[in-house]
Amino acid sequence: MTSKAIEELKRRRQGEFKKKNSQIPYAVIVTAISLIIYTICIKLNHHSTFWMIGLLFGITLQRSRFCFAASFRDPILVGSTAILKAILIALIVSTIGFTIVEYASIGDAGELDKIRTLGQVYPVGLHTVIGAIMFGIGMVIAGGCASGFLMRIGEGFLLQVVVLFGFLMGALVGTWQFEFWDKILISKAPTVFFPDYVDFPIATIVQVIVLVALYYVADWYDKKNNIMVM
Amino acid sequence: MSGKFILKKQNKSIYLFRYKRFVTQRKGGEVLKNHDRILKKPWPYMVGGSILAILNIILFILTDKVWRVTSGVVHLGAYVLEKIGLRPSEWYYFSQNTGEGLGTGEMFIYNPYIIMNAAIIVGALLSTLWASEFKWKRIKSGKQFVFALLGGFLMGYATRLSFGCNIGGYFSAIPSFSLHGWVFALFMFVGAWVGSKILIKYLLT
Repeated sequence: MTSKAIEELKRRRQGEFKKKNSQIPYAVIVTAISLIIYTICIKLNHHSTFWMIGLLFGITLQRSRFCFAASFRDPILVGSTAILKAILIALIVSTIGFTIVEYASIGDAGELDKIRTLGQVYPVGLHTVIGAIMFGIGMVIAGGCASGFLMRIGEGFLLQVVVLFGFLMGALVGTWQFEFWDKILISKAPTVFFPDYVDFPIATIVQVIVLVALYYVADWYDKKNNIMVM
Repeated sequence: MSGKFILKKQNKSIYLFRYKRFVTQRKGGEVLKNHDRILKKPWPYMVGGSILAILNIILFILTDKVWRVTSGVVHLGAYVLEKIGLRPSEWYYFSQNTGEGLGTGEMFIYNPYIIMNAAIIVGALLSTLWASEFKWKRIKSGKQFVFALLGGFLMGYATRLSFGCNIGGYFSAIPSFSLHGWVFALFMFVGAWVGSKILIKYLLT
């Protein structure tokens, strides 16, 4: 290759680089619109916090290519637990965080009933098992979980709009048929909330220990099975 | 003559070196500037996961609510059904103590998670644009379309059985100390295993 050809290649590369950069004006516009919506939400007192944190969720999911579907699929398909380990870390952080928030909100009186309504505490039973298996299958064949398809719509994937449409339909049909499942399974199932059985701080400590142990298991599994090691 | 040749060769190697350095700069080598590292290079999973967890905690502090996705989808769907003349508010689900019912004067569209889901899409769009990576990506085949629709439907339906998707039923449920989050996670592996078999058999061949 002559120096001229390399210079030419360099120029072309630079051109591509510039062309790629041309989305910045759009980025500025969308950022401005997002901030305007934020101020409107504040004015109308309408879930402005949800809007702002939602934006940050979207940015974080996109920047880190965070995919829950992959965290379940990759250990099975290629033996990689990189995302699973990150989720375990996230669960450790949020277990500790949730404990502090809940503890602060109830004071030192043990009002467990109040905490229960704050978090995501629901009946567990056969319906959970059926739902989880269905969800797992759907997630893998659709190529994305609930947070994943929202993020990919933002990236410009038209396929994920189809997933969202299917998800919406499925969720509505499920809501409509909820009575059936509630009568045969859910209403008979117990709600297991760990602080009902052990002291709240102990529940936190045990859960963190279990999550840390799972992290090491995932790490060991990755080292043993990962076929994607570079 | 041979001297001339060597000179040429040296020139070539210098250019090659410069070219390589240029490429590594673009691909995110050491010489990458700070803002490029944040805007263009993917963040490590650990960083992403930790930020998601911290954001969830901040949301909890500020609003007394935790991150969920499906709740918003269900309420948006119910709002549309109401607009076309159906009465989802009379459905058994919304009358039960699931925390999803409507208070007096409330409308389905007021659900905060509708706004949050829209914000997640816009947030992803924002970060894609700032990295100048946005591109419309078309659906490749009819098969892909069918699997997307079917997979989406399965996921959506499943969320009503297990009280939540991978966010509300897992990412926010385990830190809430509810057993259902753990059971959901465990059996999602079973589902993912079956899904992978289907994927290999029908979609990748």
